[in-house]
Amino acid sequence: MFWQIFKFELVYRSKRPASYIYFFIFFLLGFISIATGSSPASEKVFQNAPWTIADGTITFSLLMMLVCSAIMGVPLYRDVEHQTRQYFFSYPITKGGYFWGRFLGSFFYVLVVGTAFNWGCYLGAYMGPIMGQVPAERIGDYGLWNYLEPAFLYGFSNLLISSTIFFALVAVTRNVKVVYSASILLLIGYFLSNFLVRDLEKRDLVKLLDPFLINTFQLETRYLTPFEKNHLSLPFTKVFVFNRLIWMGISVAITLFAYWRFSFSAFLNADTTKDTKKKESTEKTPISQPLKRVTQDFSQGYMRRIWWRLTKIEFLNIIRDNYFKAILLGGLIFLILDFWIGNLLYSVPDRPLTIFLMDYKSYDYNLFIFIILLFYSGETIHREKTTRYNIINDAMPVSNVVFLFSKFCSMVGIAIILVTIPMVLGVIIQLLKGHTDFNFSVYFIELYVLTLPGFIQMILLSFAVHLLVNNKFGGHGVSLIIWVCLFLLRSFGEMDYNLFFYFYTPNYRWSDMNGIGHFLEPQLWFNFYWISLGCLLTVIAFLFYQRGIAGGFKERWRVASSRLNGTPRNLIVLFFLCWIGSGSFIYYNVSYLNNYTSSSTSERNSALYEKTLKKYEKKLQPKVTQVLMHADIFPDERKVKIYAKVSIKNKNASAIDSLHLLADDNIQYRILYNGKPLEYKSPLLFKHAAFNFLKKGMDTANYRIYGLPTPMLPGDTALLEVYSVIENKGFPNSGLSREILENGTFYSGGIPSFGYDPNRELNGDEDRKKYKLAKKEDEYPDQNDSEGKATMLFNDDADLIHFEATVSTSKDQIAIAPGYLQKTWEKDGRKYFQYVQDTPIDYFFSILSAKYDVLKDSVTISNGNKINIEIFHDAKHKFNLDRFKAAYKDGLEYFSKSYGDFQFRQMRLMEFPRYAGFAQSFPNTVPFAESFGWVADFSDPNSFDYVYYVTAHELAHQWWGHQVVPNKTRGSNLISEALAEYTALILTERKYGKDNMKRFLKDELDGYLTGRANESKKENTFINCNRSYQWYQKGSLILYGLQDLIGVDQLNKALHEFRDSFALKENPPFAGSTDLYAFIDKYTPDSVKYYLVDTWKKITLYDNKAISAKSVSVGKDLYDVTIQINTNKFYADSAGKETLTKMNDYIDIGVFAAESTDKNGRKKVNPIFLQKYKLTPGQKSIKIRVKGKPVKAGIDPYNKLIDRIPDDNTVDIE
Amino acid sequence: MQLVISNLSKRYPNGVQALNNVSFTIKEGMFGLLGPNGAGKSSLMRTISTLQEADSGSIFLDDLDVLNEKESVRKILGYLPQDFGVYPKISSEQMLDHIACLKGISNAKERKETVDNLLNRVNLFNDRKKNLGTYSGGMKQRFGIAQALLGNPKLIIVDEPTAGLDPAERNRFYNLLSEIGNNTIVILSTHIVEDVRTLCSDFAIICKGELLRHDQPDDAVNELEGKIYTRSADKATVQQLKEQYQVISVQMKSGSLSVRIFSDMDPGNDFKCVSPALEDVYFHQIASKMDMATI
Repeated sequence: MFWQIFKFELVYRSKRPASYIYFFIFFLLGFISIATGSSPASEKVFQNAPWTIADGTITFSLLMMLVCSAIMGVPLYRDVEHQTRQYFFSYPITKGGYFWGRFLGSFFYVLVVGTAFNWGCYLGAYMGPIMGQVPAERIGDYGLWNYLEPAFLYGFSNLLISSTIFFALVAVTRNVKVVYSASILLLIGYFLSNFLVRDLEKRDLVKLLDPFLINTFQLETRYLTPFEKNHLSLPFTKVFVFNRLIWMGISVAITLFAYWRFSFSAFLNADTTKDTKKKESTEKTPISQPLKRVTQDFSQGYMRRIWWRLTKIEFLNIIRDNYFKAILLGGLIFLILDFWIGNLLYSVPDRPLTIFLMDYKSYDYNLFIFIILLFYSGETIHREKTTRYNIINDAMPVSNVVFLFSKFCSMVGIAIILVTIPMVLGVIIQLLKGHTDFNFSVYFIELYVLTLPGFIQMILLSFAVHLLVNNKFGGHGVSLIIWVCLFLLRSFGEMDYNLFFYFYTPNYRWSDMNGIGHFLEPQLWFNFYWISLGCLLTVIAFLFYQRGIAGGFKERWRVASSRLNGTPRNLIVLFFLCWIGSGSFIYYNVSYLNNYTSSSTSERNSALYEKTLKKYEKKLQPKVTQVLMHADIFPDERKVKIYAKVSIKNKNASAIDSLHLLADDNIQYRILYNGKPLEYKSPLLFKHAAFNFLKKGMDTANYRIYGLPTPMLPGDTALLEVYSVIENKGFPNSGLSREILENGTFYSGGIPSFGYDPNRELNGDEDRKKYKLAKKEDEYPDQNDSEGKATMLFNDDADLIHFEATVSTSKDQIAIAPGYLQKTWEKDGRKYFQYVQDTPIDYFFSILSAKYDVLKDSVTISNGNKINIEIFHDAKHKFNLDRFKAAYKDGLEYFSKSYGDFQFRQMRLMEFPRYAGFAQSFPNTVPFAESFGWVADFSDPNSFDYVYYVTAHELAHQWWGHQVVPNKTRGSNLISEALAEYTALILTERKYGKDNMKRFLKDELDGYLTGRANESKKENTFINCNRSYQWYQKGSLILYGLQDLIGVDQLNKALHEFRDSFALKENPPFAGSTDLYAFIDKYTPDSVKYYLVDTWKKITLYDNKAISAKSVSVGKDLYDVTIQINTNKFYADSAGKETLTKMNDYIDIGVFAAESTDKNGRKKVNPIFLQKYKLTPGQKSIKIRVKGKPVKAGIDPYNKLIDRIPDDNTVDIE
Repeated sequence: MQLVISNLSKRYPNGVQALNNVSFTIKEGMFGLLGPNGAGKSSLMRTISTLQEADSGSIFLDDLDVLNEKESVRKILGYLPQDFGVYPKISSEQMLDHIACLKGISNAKERKETVDNLLNRVNLFNDRKKNLGTYSGGMKQRFGIAQALLGNPKLIIVDEPTAGLDPAERNRFYNLLSEIGNNTIVILSTHIVEDVRTLCSDFAIICKGELLRHDQPDDAVNELEGKIYTRSADKATVQQLKEQYQVISVQMKSGSLSVRIFSDMDPGNDFKCVSPALEDVYFHQIASKMDMATI
């Protein structure tokens, strides 16, 4: 019996077109992701590496849930639906045969579809290089099993889970609708739970409980290097086994339960439709009366009345729909969570400012809105047709316009509701969090002026599509395809010309300092442009609106042409003009005024730049020795005018015959050389970018060669006068153009630089190959390169310079430049500020201007000097000023004592709008982004004080970067960044305690391991570092580890000496990474030299693991703790291939009492034993006697060492 | 008031010629439309009801151009389609109230009165609060009748209105129809030929999109007076008779086959002259156009 039913199921499936469609879709997904190189593999990972295929298989097996619901939902329901159960069960079949036959027959098919993705990958890997969509070297040489293994290892078990759930649901409820809802709910639920655990520290639990292995796989493989992703066999570790045991167990239990509950008689009996309530009327039947004439009113008011009535009815129809409620509920849950949690920086939330909430709403909520608008636009258009009521309705005396316009208005009503929800929820959440500065104008502008038009555009497009397609499912399909195409083209097609992408507008961002600022204008234009197009399409589609019985294409065309007169025709003309008109204006702004360049054009230009101008790279150029600048900032016009007297000197050994000047795109300038204008030529002219066809002439690459009247001989000086204007004309296609603003200007340019800039070259191996450029191994030369040693890293135009600046701005703002304020004055309604820097500084300055409040303070450092502290901040952002100030005070004292004198008499910090999220250290001047802690909420005492930490880091740059300027050789940036990061870490440790560093160290370790896992080229050793994950994360970790071994004072001494020999050097050679290494090496005893070599000159990883720990009480609060640990050490090559090595290294062994809370409410770690052991590889048992009740124990418990799996270093004591 | 249909043609995209150069005039009163399945009755009625475009031809209701001034037609139209759907979760009372609104009855009180009365007249008053989704086929049909009669329609088009009604309800409906005063054109399509004779002052037979006959029922029947003969026969004989005579129908009558033929003179051969019925007119007309496999 079983076999017959099983076979019947297979035959049935093989005859359904849907079966093939499912297979084809997943096959295509696999094929495309490999063949077009769109898989998530980074550049050194093969597109078809085991990891890539497994990652795709697992992800898509989740999406397969929808297929599972479609396939597994029907086998039982089929007999209900077609009423075959009436006689089917009268045949001599057994319950077991029926149940299992249907189940396994369908599940077999699910498994077949489950491999479609993998077969697609197989073909994609074969076809990709042939089609030329993916370079052959990105495809590894793997056998068929490589592609299928992930399906067997992970995919199939996921499918089993989904399948059993859906099959059981139908078996028990006899209702197939439950299944569709369940699949959507399961998906939402799954995303939701992922969302909830995103910041959870209990990753082990997540790995164990994820029913679809997505997190398990991601977490288990997150640190795999490119080499390992290509070559390691797929993991199926203990955690996978337990996870599968749990979920397979649940699946089997569900199925058995369903089998137990399932019975023929239940299936045979009773329809599941609900009993309708009898609403018998109690009123007495009135006496029949003859039909009377009624008054009918078709006057002007009729249209309005009916429009309102239909709008209301349709609106209520949607609002009352259960699916609408369900989708909205999903959206609300996410919205509340997003609002409540917000954006975390170092795990610290921001205050719930309205400007942030308006960002958060687009995280998840907008997706739900999109689904609602898309789906219900179609529903409302086809509502009459769906129930076949249209045949009555269409004969009603309501005009097409009223009929459709009411539908449109009801959808707009829905959109207004949806757009208002974030405001209501936002205010509630702000109140709950005790935040009362609601800033309603932000809510209103963002929601009703910026967001609502977008929603209306979606509705218009859907209406147009559904009216034209005139079929509900066809319409949904076509609109979905349109949106998916738009999305794919933008995401993977590298196209971003907004004028071509319906609904898209340039990006914008709210700021507390600058409001909506200059973003409002382009938003309004683009929204007008898209609404015009939407209206145009809808009116055109309206012509084709089919009332009554569907006719053929010819008939529709005839009807449409007959409708094309009067109002519709005028509207079409009007909307067309609006669309083209606003489009032209946008085009003028984006392409003409702002030279839009696509990413492929930029690439082409970079390649051309290198090919044409590389020959000038070694061309000798003078160095700047002094800058006297006069800058006028016009905040309202978003313009800066600069007049700078730049003194230059030929510091080379031979003469200079020409000046090579390179400037940013948005500046216009002219120069005088010793008071006279010079002729110049432009050696490189770029061809016009695509979409700039109206613009005449060629765009120059802004590279000019000025021939000098007489050569500058070695030692000669000259005066260069630069007149430049930096203007923001119109608005660009994208980008925040954040530098010159109405409030919060932060600009660091304006003077052209000398010579060829290699940073403009293409970097990626694939890109360079495409343009036939040689592979670029390292950006900078070897540490011993004499030219590199004689050049400063951040600027090869100057060594140290003398700097003075007079900056003017509007009356209500304060303008700031490096240097000491000499005087301020007002003239012609503008404010002037004169700054003089009386000691030499790096050629690296910025000018800022905003409406600032100023907090002033001072600190006296160890040499008796008084340092003025000034914090310029937005009037509303007073929350964390103490933290900035404390970092400055503590840092100035400690750094000057430990590393040497502070070179200035003042230290300033100024807020700038959150269009960028960084802080940057200029001489005695640190611009610090609005979103970088000014409004962070530190009310949880355990939160990491990143304001203090980052401020300390930027302050440390005054020593590391400004006093000791790194040279332009390989790895030298670690002098600036690693030392700043490390010294900031030490300062933070002094404030918050040694034993609380674990969380921070673990974050750093995670950053380093993730960085190297995503390395797209090769990983350098630290001394040759070239990536931020090396100089920030690895740098702070290994320097912290070193001071832990040799003592912080020893390391400070080394750094002090290092500083002394390079500080404020006006002449080369400047410091490189090997110089710093030599000083540190001197202070490192032989016994730990191995550590220094391991961390700086090799890539070293440990595999430390605590296996178990036991404790025995030996009386008087004494305990004997026995810890089982395992340790190993590996060296990795630049691709990430690891080799086991021998070791005899110092590693912490620690035992901890229970955590407690200190007087500030801060959680406190309580080590009762922490000591370094010299450990050789392998498993060890260590016995320790401690005082106090031990709770946890482990190896390297603070994660001071670079550990491949940092989570398993401590265990609870049994 | 009269409805003038001239040279109306319609061909569907699948090639079916639904209407082929149809011309006739309908005067006030009840007009019956007869024809076999697929004859084009519904197409014609939908075209008059503004729900379908014609390929060529015209329809005028006095001066009103039905094909081009649809909105004006809809204001005086009452239409009951052959097959229609309803919103399942709305009561018939609410739905009729809504339709009354669309038909321009703006006064709420008047609306309630007329809706209640109509519900009563179609015998749905007691079920008026029930959702339409729970209605049986007959109840749904009666709801359809009620909505078609809302708002003083001058042109009422009912496509097989009595399908699914029991005989009592059918009578009730015809009574209701007959009440509708003068100045109204009622176009009714049905398969029950005798109903046309009792109700209609005028009728037409169409088949394969063509108008076969347009006449008054009594005249049409009288025309056949003395020309319809009948006899009973067995199966084999029927075949023979078919070859010999113009057989217009073969029906089962109390266990044996009864053959009706059209003949200008007495055919003899056991045939007896009978008084003609409208059905004979119908079959006679149709038989000229297509093979009537009545048995």
